[in-house]
Amino acid sequence: MIAAMKNKITALIFAAILFAGCSLEEYPYGFYSERNYYKTTADAEAATLYIYDAINYIEYSRAIVFLGGMNTDELDPKGDATPSTKDLDAWSQNNFRSNTTLGNFFKYSYITINRANAVIKHVPSMNIDAGIRNRFTGEAYFMRAYSYFNLARNFGRVPIHMSMVSRLEDTQAGLPENLDEMWGYIISDLEDAIELLPYYAKPEPGRVDKAAAQAFLAKAYLYLASAKAYGVPQYSEMSFSVDDYYAKAAQYAGEVVDNPEQKTYGFDPDLMHIYDVDYPDGPEHIFIMSMDRTGETEGQYSKISKMYIPYISGGTVYLKQGDSDKMIATHDGWSEYKTNITFYNSYAAGDLRKDWLICKEVYDASGAVVAAYPGSLSYPFCRKYVDPGFNGDKTSTKPYLLRYSDVALMYAEAAGPTAKAYELVNYIRNRAGLGDLTPGLSVADFRAAVIRERVYELAFEGNITYDLRRTGRLHTVTAVQEQGITEEADVLFYPIPSIETDLNPNIK
Amino acid sequence: MKKKILGFFLAVAALLIPGTLLAQNVGRVSGTVSDPHGNTVLGAAVLVTGSNKYAITDENGAWAIEGVASDATLSVSCLGYEDATLAVNGRAVIDIVLQESSFMLEETVAIGYGRMKKSDLTGSVASLDPENLVSKPSNSIENLMQGRVAGVQITNNSQEPGAASIVRVRGNSSMNGSNAPLLVVDGFPFGDAGNLAQINPQDIVSMEVLKDASASAIYGSRGANGVILITTTKASANKTSISVRQQTTLSQMTSELDLWHDPVLMAITQNESKINAGLTPQYVGAVNANGIYYPSIEELQTTWTTNTRWEDIVLRDVPVSNNTTVQVRSSNDKTNFVASANYYRNNGVFVDDYYQKFGGKFSVDQKIYPNFTLKLGANVVSGVRNYNPGRSFNRNPIFPVYDDEGNYWLYSASDYYHPVALKELSTNVTKGTDVIANAGVEWRMFDGFTLTSQFNFKHGETVQDVYNPNVYSETGNFNNGYGKIANWQDNNMVVDVYGTYDKVLAEKHHVTAMLGYSYENYQSRSSDLTGVEFVNEALGNENLQAGNPELYRIGNGLSKSELVSGLMRLNYGYDNRYLFTFTSRADGSSKFGVNEKWAFFPSGAFSWNAHNESFLKDVKAINTLKFRASYGVSGNQGISPYQTLSRFGQHKYYYNGSWMTAIGPGYKSGTTGEGGIYAVWSGIANENLKWESTTQLDFGVDVSLFGNRLNLTVDVYDKVTDDLLRERNIAPSSGFDRMWVNDGKIQNRGVEATLDGIIYSSKDWKVGATAVFSCNRNKVLSLGNAKEAGLMTDDRTGMQYEYYGNSLGQYRGYTNILAIDKPMFVFYGYKVDGIVQALDEGLSAGLTGSDAEPGEFKYVDVDGSGTVDEDDRCIIGDPNPDFLASLNFDVVWKNLDFSIFFNGVFGNDVINTQRFGQPSNNPLRWTTDNPTNKYPKLRDDRQVKFSDWWIEDGSFVRIQTVALGYTLPLRKRLSFMESVRFYVNIDNLYTFTKFTGYDPEVSALGIYSGGYPRLRRWTFGIDFNF
Repeated sequence: MIAAMKNKITALIFAAILFAGCSLEEYPYGFYSERNYYKTTADAEAATLYIYDAINYIEYSRAIVFLGGMNTDELDPKGDATPSTKDLDAWSQNNFRSNTTLGNFFKYSYITINRANAVIKHVPSMNIDAGIRNRFTGEAYFMRAYSYFNLARNFGRVPIHMSMVSRLEDTQAGLPENLDEMWGYIISDLEDAIELLPYYAKPEPGRVDKAAAQAFLAKAYLYLASAKAYGVPQYSEMSFSVDDYYAKAAQYAGEVVDNPEQKTYGFDPDLMHIYDVDYPDGPEHIFIMSMDRTGETEGQYSKISKMYIPYISGGTVYLKQGDSDKMIATHDGWSEYKTNITFYNSYAAGDLRKDWLICKEVYDASGAVVAAYPGSLSYPFCRKYVDPGFNGDKTSTKPYLLRYSDVALMYAEAAGPTAKAYELVNYIRNRAGLGDLTPGLSVADFRAAVIRERVYELAFEGNITYDLRRTGRLHTVTAVQEQGITEEADVLFYPIPSIETDLNPNIK
Repeated sequence: MKKKILGFFLAVAALLIPGTLLAQNVGRVSGTVSDPHGNTVLGAAVLVTGSNKYAITDENGAWAIEGVASDATLSVSCLGYEDATLAVNGRAVIDIVLQESSFMLEETVAIGYGRMKKSDLTGSVASLDPENLVSKPSNSIENLMQGRVAGVQITNNSQEPGAASIVRVRGNSSMNGSNAPLLVVDGFPFGDAGNLAQINPQDIVSMEVLKDASASAIYGSRGANGVILITTTKASANKTSISVRQQTTLSQMTSELDLWHDPVLMAITQNESKINAGLTPQYVGAVNANGIYYPSIEELQTTWTTNTRWEDIVLRDVPVSNNTTVQVRSSNDKTNFVASANYYRNNGVFVDDYYQKFGGKFSVDQKIYPNFTLKLGANVVSGVRNYNPGRSFNRNPIFPVYDDEGNYWLYSASDYYHPVALKELSTNVTKGTDVIANAGVEWRMFDGFTLTSQFNFKHGETVQDVYNPNVYSETGNFNNGYGKIANWQDNNMVVDVYGTYDKVLAEKHHVTAMLGYSYENYQSRSSDLTGVEFVNEALGNENLQAGNPELYRIGNGLSKSELVSGLMRLNYGYDNRYLFTFTSRADGSSKFGVNEKWAFFPSGAFSWNAHNESFLKDVKAINTLKFRASYGVSGNQGISPYQTLSRFGQHKYYYNGSWMTAIGPGYKSGTTGEGGIYAVWSGIANENLKWESTTQLDFGVDVSLFGNRLNLTVDVYDKVTDDLLRERNIAPSSGFDRMWVNDGKIQNRGVEATLDGIIYSSKDWKVGATAVFSCNRNKVLSLGNAKEAGLMTDDRTGMQYEYYGNSLGQYRGYTNILAIDKPMFVFYGYKVDGIVQALDEGLSAGLTGSDAEPGEFKYVDVDGSGTVDEDDRCIIGDPNPDFLASLNFDVVWKNLDFSIFFNGVFGNDVINTQRFGQPSNNPLRWTTDNPTNKYPKLRDDRQVKFSDWWIEDGSFVRIQTVALGYTLPLRKRLSFMESVRFYVNIDNLYTFTKFTGYDPEVSALGIYSGGYPRLRRWTFGIDFNF
């Protein structure tokens, strides 16, 4: 009996061992990887959307304003802002290599690039509808160019990744030889994007089409042309011809603002409507971030409004809508992007972009003033980003990445004082309640006037720093002067973050 | 006396044997079985070798078998006795004397895949009898172990119902992996120690802590943090007992809550703080932007009547908790049976906040054949945690609970802390059930060899119901109502098979060999359902479909891992004097990288029982003098499944008015930055990722003197953990942030000692004491490649470091660092030398702007650069204690027993984040009238730097337990009842400390963040034993 039992038990034990016998190989569960992806049109679209998704993270979306305005006399930080913000504002260059905001902007540019590279690697060879395939690939080229464009403006020469990174060995890309090579990648990608992308029938908020690619190519040419024309160090040593690039800038901007085939975008005649959060598909918005208050996490929804609005006791306040009696509600904010008062006072009298788009009074629901500047409102704040349909901190505010008015001003600047150029500039001035620009200006005066117009038209949209950079005037910013810096060369570029130089031996 | 009986018995036996010598071919053989003391042995199996004939002895030790050949051989076995084999030799009556097995002679301890005599131990194993600990109720046994075992630090930093304890054996040795020891219950590895809620502490009969490498290496890649072995109760031999234990616990706070009871003082200080920051004061008798009228200070002094005592609304008067256990234990010669049921309820300090659980357990050991035992067990625990988020007892007292219309009174549209609203409108309930089953066999196949096989299965599941109401909660307000159901379940299966051979050869050579195999399969799954934008909130999360159909959110996940192991242990003892142990385990884990699937963990130990040497044998005073040495390697798995694979990320992107799925390279693996607002991007595979390995050297000595009245155990150890799991940085131009690698080294060295003794004993009295001392020195030896790890350098000292933990909003920065050659988690910040009294003084101290003004912290310009900046930071404190010590006294007088337990932690620093800004300290502020050097002025917009001003000595000695009990023996008077015991246990009676916050017992990072005072718990217990 025991012997029989013995056999049974032995069998049982062996069964247990066999049952347990297993290979230790690990199979991914519940996530995708390169080996099980890029099969269908939906895969390709999700991969394309993932590119755009990268710039929605607050590390990037907030940095747009930190690098495009906070570092000038347009905005100031609050008293207890983070050190990285204070350093950027004050041009404390010693800490720039480890500055969180600079590091994040750098990093997210490359996250975008890697996601774009993944699409460029896989989508063109996918067996899907050619039109769709071209569109997605074109979007990827655009986003790669967009990221390198922003990197180039801020950091000069940066590591170039033109293929997707999937192993540790792929992570150490070198720098281009010179700025010509650097910008060559941007121009070439934008040309590819123009080739591949269609004009959309109507604006598709959160995605770009041919017009965006043309506008950005114009932006790139104009940036270089003006930089060389204004004698900005390093740019002036580039090999292109200034007139040629101004002409190309005018040509590509013209494809957007002076092209009967391009029917998707145009001026929005109503100044307040441009900034109405419910109309991200308005004619002005060639490229806009796509966020919605129904999102789960910040980045899906936006808190950008709170960056501009001052702290007002944590409550709901109301704003007047232009010259109408209509009032809209908003939450209060964190006072992170404080309007510089000198800048506020520099607007021309009667400029509606000041009177309507910068609030110096807030009201309660009944219309009574509850806080005003000067007084308990600590500064007059930009209201371009207000979402009256906010849910707590969650808003659908969509930061403006490229507006038609910007392209119009680019065209005007590149083309010089032509009739079309005057027409475009005057449209923008008239919409803001101002009179026409002085007629008959010289090319130089006209360009200077357009650049000045850009300061107010594109205020608080992350633009002014780059206009200062490409005209060699960044060193005139008050904080830069307070640092004792007198040469543009000393503020020409931010240093590449130390985390990159420490870990990438190919940067020297 | 006993020797005389034995001698007599042997003599009788000797006389009887010759008389039974009768030649007989086949016939009946009978006799008795007894022990050397002449006591009959019940339940011994007498087997005719090579047949299936056998008999089991009855209560008189008698047995009989028919048809036994006269030349047959009998083998006799019984639990607790050495096996015996003898020839029938034609006898008809054979009386057998069984020698007690060594297991019965001496206490044995669990060592993992086996038990061992305490005197045969070579490694560092601490045993703990939980019997004395369970006179206060607790969710888990770990909570009760505090201060009881040398080398084990238990931190009970949370007083929330059902809260876990932090358990550390010989310090922290991992940055990112777990630092908790492995918990093994009756041979079943449960995972990290800390909250063993599945096992009722009253069902636990013994606990062993495996501390050194020789002891823990048998658990291989999970042994590096030590192992806690828990053995649950069995019935005593041939006895049926029923016990009913009831405990009722009343809790009270040991100190007053730090609240504003004087609204005038509150308003004055708050106004002052605003004015000093250049802001508009609030208490000026005006309506603010939210339409809330803030009275002026004069009004508060005169006409303002509202003074809400929020603490009376939010807190229970006296939290009462309950613990009831009924236990039935019974055994006979074949069966050992235990059944136990438990009801536990722990009411938290907040109203409606509680944890409760019901548990049931049974286990049966059935001797199917004399040498074959089947063991079955099951355990079911079902618990509920009801969390009440309405906790703001520190709300402004000048405002009411309700407004005039009876609505909840809110400060503003973003007032998410109204305690009554949250209590009434929100839901946060987690229900969990755990089912544990095990089946095993123990088969004594032949003399000295036992095969043990055990199958364990554990199923756990929780369901969490959440509803966050619109308006009153942040999540609810952001989503217009937010309801969620989160499901989680896990299954863990372990199969162990091991054979043990135990034999004394040629009298002096004791050999024990164990060879085994183990397979473990773990899988956890989760899913969650979320609905938002509820039209009507009446149903809470009961009907998630009532949310906006376009915004339903779902999530699911699965994590699976397998572990295959081969294990081996060899013990050799020579003459009970020299003992050698060699242990090894090979672990193959699916979690490791493809190039590192298998890990091998060897260890060896030697010990010398000097008391058995001839030169000490006759020294009566010395009972034990044993020296131990061990060395070996154990590991820490630390890795989560799938960390070695490359993977894509996934997110939602809003496009064309709806949410679309977005997928591509790089996934968000974590968060970083203050408040965790920045994402960390991973996804590059590391095929070489493996376990952390800990090499440990241990020397110990065990001494027992004066008839075991005085026992001392001392161990010193040096353990180094290498290949630390950490994330290395990747150049950001790759589009990735980090990947997991093995790089880094931490050392823990220490001394630990346990001294216990019987101070006095007589017929009526017994006075005993136990002292436990542990001292650990932790040091970070390496943090890996400095550039890859992104280490920072302290410019002044050249010290390399990285931040650890979370950035604290209060200081807008990190407080703890890991620094090379320093203990883990040291504090890094500024030094403060009093308060600036004059602007000149501030400016000359190197301060700038408003920081230089009178009333500000006078930070020290440590590097003498002329300005106070980040380079002036230095190490300003160490949260690791210098040593832990505890002392327990037991006094028994007749049926009355009393014990008092002091537990102390010494020499650790604690960051008291509440040192300023609280009602108790704000009034002590610097003002021009009170130019103190101790506190700064009040200023709302001050950017406070983390400095030594906030650091306090966290040393404390606590009267942890005082217990008084009376046992009423009833057996003589009542036939059905053994005894009744009444007792009172006071937990946390008093704490001696210089710390100024509520209580200095905080987590390993040493950050105190307020909360509420430590609770003193009065437990009234009654035990009925039938």
